[in-house]
Amino acid sequence: MSYVLAKSQNDDIHKAGECGGAVTSILKYLLDEGIVDGVLAISPCDDVYDGVPTFVTDSEDLIKTAGSYHCAPTMIGDLVQKYFFDKKVAVTAKPCDMRAIEELITRHKIKRDNIYVIGLNCGGTVSPVSGRKMIDLFYEADPDDVISEEIDKGQFIIELADGSEEAVKIHDLENEGYGRRTNCQRCDVKIPRKANLACGNWGAEDGWTFIEINDEKGQELIDGAKKAGILETKTPAQGAIDGRAKVEGIMIKMANKVQNAVYPTVSEMDEWSRCISCYACRDVCPICWCFENCELNKPYFKDETNIPPTPIAFQGVRLSHMSFSCVDCGQCDDVCPMDIPVSLIFDKLQKKYFNRTGYVAGVSDDIKPPLYSPEKTEL
Amino acid sequence: MADDLKIVGLLCNWCCYGGADTAGTARMQYSPNIRIIRVMCSGRISPSMIFKAFQEGADGVFVGGCHIGDCHYDAGNYKWSRRSKIVEDILEEFGIEKERFCHEWISASEGEKFQRTMEEFRKELNKLGPLELD
Amino acid sequence: MLEIKHTLCPSCSVGCGINVVLNEGEVVGTFPYKRHPVNAGKNCLNGRNSIDCYLNKFENVDEDALIGDIKKELQSADSSNVTVICSGNNTIEETEVIKEFAESNGFNIGFYADNLKNYDEVASYDDVENAQKVFVIGDLLYENPLIGRRVVHAKQNGAKIFAFVKAESSVTSNIADECFNASVGEFLDACKGEVDENSVVIFNQVDDADDLAKIEALNCKILPVFSKSNTKGALNILDAKSKDEMFELLDNTKVLLVFNDDIVDELEFDFSKISKIISFAPCANKTTEISDIVVPIKTWLEKDGSFVNAMGETQTFNAAIESDVLSEIEVIEKLNG
Repeated sequence: MSYVLAKSQNDDIHKAGECGGAVTSILKYLLDEGIVDGVLAISPCDDVYDGVPTFVTDSEDLIKTAGSYHCAPTMIGDLVQKYFFDKKVAVTAKPCDMRAIEELITRHKIKRDNIYVIGLNCGGTVSPVSGRKMIDLFYEADPDDVISEEIDKGQFIIELADGSEEAVKIHDLENEGYGRRTNCQRCDVKIPRKANLACGNWGAEDGWTFIEINDEKGQELIDGAKKAGILETKTPAQGAIDGRAKVEGIMIKMANKVQNAVYPTVSEMDEWSRCISCYACRDVCPICWCFENCELNKPYFKDETNIPPTPIAFQGVRLSHMSFSCVDCGQCDDVCPMDIPVSLIFDKLQKKYFNRTGYVAGVSDDIKPPLYSPEKTEL
Repeated sequence: MADDLKIVGLLCNWCCYGGADTAGTARMQYSPNIRIIRVMCSGRISPSMIFKAFQEGADGVFVGGCHIGDCHYDAGNYKWSRRSKIVEDILEEFGIEKERFCHEWISASEGEKFQRTMEEFRKELNKLGPLELD
Repeated sequence: MLEIKHTLCPSCSVGCGINVVLNEGEVVGTFPYKRHPVNAGKNCLNGRNSIDCYLNKFENVDEDALIGDIKKELQSADSSNVTVICSGNNTIEETEVIKEFAESNGFNIGFYADNLKNYDEVASYDDVENAQKVFVIGDLLYENPLIGRRVVHAKQNGAKIFAFVKAESSVTSNIADECFNASVGEFLDACKGEVDENSVVIFNQVDDADDLAKIEALNCKILPVFSKSNTKGALNILDAKSKDEMFELLDNTKVLLVFNDDIVDELEFDFSKISKIISFAPCANKTTEISDIVVPIKTWLEKDGSFVNAMGETQTFNAAIESDVLSEIEVIEKLNG
């Protein structure tokens, strides 16, 4: 593991990128050299609130993926698994994306050799619709005038077309039920260290990206991009490294505070009585990859007459299949038509599993005997 | 009341099922509430089977396997042992007392242990009464 | 090549956004459209399965031959015995063309809107969320979940929920403070005293026209929710017929032209009494099964268009995928030509 500061040598990318355009430049290097068939990254479709996963095969098109989007709570793990199994691809990944990819690699649904992951540090994401409402309520600005947003020093900052900025403390927003998605608030994995590279602006000076090189493949990427003349690098000062560690520490502390809140059990929650058995939570889950053969579709569990379903026969079964691998991406909350906080219980069970085994889904190196291995150990 | 309580017993073919058999042939008295389902190995039991049993009206579920080290398939009971912890964690979430779920290692010769386990489990369930799921 | 494109959900009149995933030029799945103001990326099972109609679409056929047959059929029929069925599955643009086609040829138009009717002023989804009392008729949480969600929000905001659902148990009654299941009329009579200016009545079914009259007499905002994506838009163009009026019309019909609808599934009528049924549909349904001629048409994924959602908002969508199948408008042009 080593650290480097990097920025793009390409003027257009340098300008369009969030902090120096290092990520976009590395992606361009991968495409131009033919190392990958394509790049899967987020680009805004209708506006800054509308980040959509976009597959790019021509490096000229990469510019539209430049910049960071906090109002894009997407998940790409399942896209990689479903559509790129046999393709060489590079992807940009938040920590939860990376954790999902890691879990899918363990399940042989993604080939590690086929994939380059450019990790992005993440302080949390905001749901687009509630994000717009939040800007409407807490800021002077019109949500339509926002050209970019950022989370920095405990504030959610918006930038407007005229160059002016407005900032509100995240804590204040979250107290009112806005701000980051609830699973992001309790997420304590802010830097995707399983990715080949972990990039971000924490600790970096203006116009540069701070990169943590996590493995040999990541080192090769930096060296290659430098050699190709697209990336400029320098060694970060100790102050920068410390600054970054401090930001990460504060973020994790904030998360831990929320984690200490008492989660109710399913049987104590009213929300489950409005479950309509639509299976959106299962279908969106990046870890649930086998839904064509899903046990919930078997005649002995399929119960179309009983709505809402008996929770233990629906979520109980899903929990037993994959809760120990829950990466707490919150997609199940996002897609639930009935606003049931599904991820709360999956995350809770993952944490219980962590207490028993020390295993953090998509993060731990030492893979403890998963549920179905023939290892001769007991918990 | 006690006779109405339903216990589903999932017993491994090689050990616990034999244990129940031994208890039976030796005419040891044990609770008739248990409905025995023979499985080839405790490692074959998935958590969803336990949940299904509770959903379908079981008041208690018992799982019996070979003693650790005696598994006919080498490591099946280790798998079950790890899985049982997850089952306990999950049951708690759904308001099902963990005492309603019991598992024990019983060999084919331990008819007396099978009898004792059944009696104790039934007493425990008697205290809890019938399970009511929403 | 993977592409994710915006479109609208065609499964009911709520007007949710949904993304479709295309891989190597084929529709392979859906993806949450979290930016969409109506549903914020949430879709019900029907919504996520809506692409099935594209995946199971009819194979290409010799449309010109079929159109020739239909023309012959129409020429030999007495125009007063010909009925055109238009539905909320058609876009605004298509509905206008269908109306023009029927009127210029002197055909009858049958348009059924769940026994409900059009209102100029309806409650918005935000009105539902901000209401102090919500009166729900029908199992909206299950049948139109993304409006049901607004009722849930209303409850979270402290509203009192009154529900009429025929079934003994339902998710809608699970969240309601007071439940009824005898009849819509009784429900409305019982609740009349509770209704005030901060109430919203939201319904996807009524028993008969009397119920509608009772709802109209209430002094509050109302929101009818339809089973098809553009019923509200079509209602702005055409008058809906009640169930009885539809039966009367069908009784006097010899040739039935069904534009993208499953009227056979919807109405309990002996369709064998009609001598010719001609169906324009993208994929098989109960109506195409008993049709004499079936002309394949574009699914919504293959065309541009606009729908009006239940709260009266016009939403446009663009083709997610190209195809050379005829659209309804092209079919009508050929029939006219």
